[in-house]
Amino acid sequence: MIEVTNMQKKFGRKKVLQGVSFTANKGEITCLIGVNGAGKTTILNAIMNLTPLNSGQVLMDGQLINKKSYEKITFIPDAITMLPQMRIKEAMQFMADFYKSWNQQRANEMISFFKLNKEDKISTLSKGNTAKVNLLLGLALDVDYILMDEPFSGIDIFSREQIADVFTSHLIEDRGVIITTHEINDIEHLIDKAILLGDGQVIKQFNAEEIREQEGKSVIDVMREVYIK
Amino acid sequence: MSNYLKLVNFELNRFIKLYMVLIGVTIVSQLVGAVLVSRRYLKDVNQAIYEDGMSQSSFIEQFGQFSFYDFGMSLWFVGPIALSIVVLLIYVFFIWYRDWFAKNTFIYRLLTLPTARLNVYLSKATTIFLMVLGLVALQLILIPIESRVLEWMVPLDFRNDLSLDQIIEQLHVMSVLIPQSILQFIRNFGIGFMSVFIVFTAILLERSFKWKGILLGILYGAFTIGLYVLPGVLESLISPGYFYQSEKFFIAIAMVVIISSLSIWLGRLLLKYKVTV
Repeated sequence: MIEVTNMQKKFGRKKVLQGVSFTANKGEITCLIGVNGAGKTTILNAIMNLTPLNSGQVLMDGQLINKKSYEKITFIPDAITMLPQMRIKEAMQFMADFYKSWNQQRANEMISFFKLNKEDKISTLSKGNTAKVNLLLGLALDVDYILMDEPFSGIDIFSREQIADVFTSHLIEDRGVIITTHEINDIEHLIDKAILLGDGQVIKQFNAEEIREQEGKSVIDVMREVYIK
Repeated sequence: MSNYLKLVNFELNRFIKLYMVLIGVTIVSQLVGAVLVSRRYLKDVNQAIYEDGMSQSSFIEQFGQFSFYDFGMSLWFVGPIALSIVVLLIYVFFIWYRDWFAKNTFIYRLLTLPTARLNVYLSKATTIFLMVLGLVALQLILIPIESRVLEWMVPLDFRNDLSLDQIIEQLHVMSVLIPQSILQFIRNFGIGFMSVFIVFTAILLERSFKWKGILLGILYGAFTIGLYVLPGVLESLISPGYFYQSEKFFIAIAMVVIISSLSIWLGRLLLKYKVTV
């Protein structure tokens, strides 16, 4: 389980996060929802220890994030984190060189699934294919937790469908996923837990299935209630 | 250790094309320069002796014999060295900033590798050191070859052959880059490497604290330079000539070790706790 407790972050005088707390379980998809500037990306960066917090704590399976944690948790930001001049096969080799958790068989499977060519240079790929390679580099790691920042942002409908398909596949199964997205429609039916953010705080968090069963509301219905008052 | 070596290999590969260009420019410029500079001397010889009727001995008396020094002071020789120094100085900054500001933010990947972040710092520093040492080694190979070219070009009577030691001694830039004694080598390169560590840590201060970090980086640079010169300043103020040369040397080495260690330690802390993507 990932436990985020009282996360506070300031950029200059601006308070971006003001005491954000939530948990994300293994085997569940937790979605951080909020308008631009709500602090979603900052939360993911802070979980990965990529930006320092002013206060608060992040625990993964009861432990603070350290260098060994990166074999158990991975981050897929909204831009690819490989050198543009690399070929896809070189990017995969880089991952294989540094991560014990790299699963080449799964990577090959995803190459076929996304219909990518290993020989292609990353800089020559379309935005959709770049997003797929980015996803591949994260999902081919045998990690327990995956953080994804806007995986559907700015890509074509067919690529979005392919990426959404990944969420129902064995590539995600049994892992804990924290995802941020504007395009809630693409994955609404897949979300286990939704965390609605506003003004650097958690406004509401709920189990999507429970609220569907108990109140007959979709995630979008709850969002409408919270954000459009 | 293995991740550190893999990172060094990776960083070397990222710079290798530009580095090969530097090596190519140095080889071509210096070899072509050796031919052209010696031909220019021979042209002067021919003009003075065959056209102006000057005798060989009076020409040598007036203009001197041709030696490596004449070539070594030319732009053909010094130019590529200066270019390499400038490129490497820029690269000390570029090696960090390109990971933040290039099209793809590679710093996310570097900082989430399952290895100590200090390895990222040390691998980048090692890359710079290897590049510098490589270019110095290239110069050590090139100088004897260029000496031979000059020997082929200029007749024995008109030239003054210098040994490698003499060439290095006479050319100031070479005497800094390739010192005559191992102790000088340690001091010169120690100061160079210490400077790289100081700049790296100043960059990380900027990356950690943004605008305030620029000021902190400048202050850190000033502080470390002050720390380095402090023993010498104190000596000259309190008791000039108090230290023997050998003592001054060991103080310099001690300051290099202290400041480098401080910079690496601070760089490690910043990378671990403060740096932001």
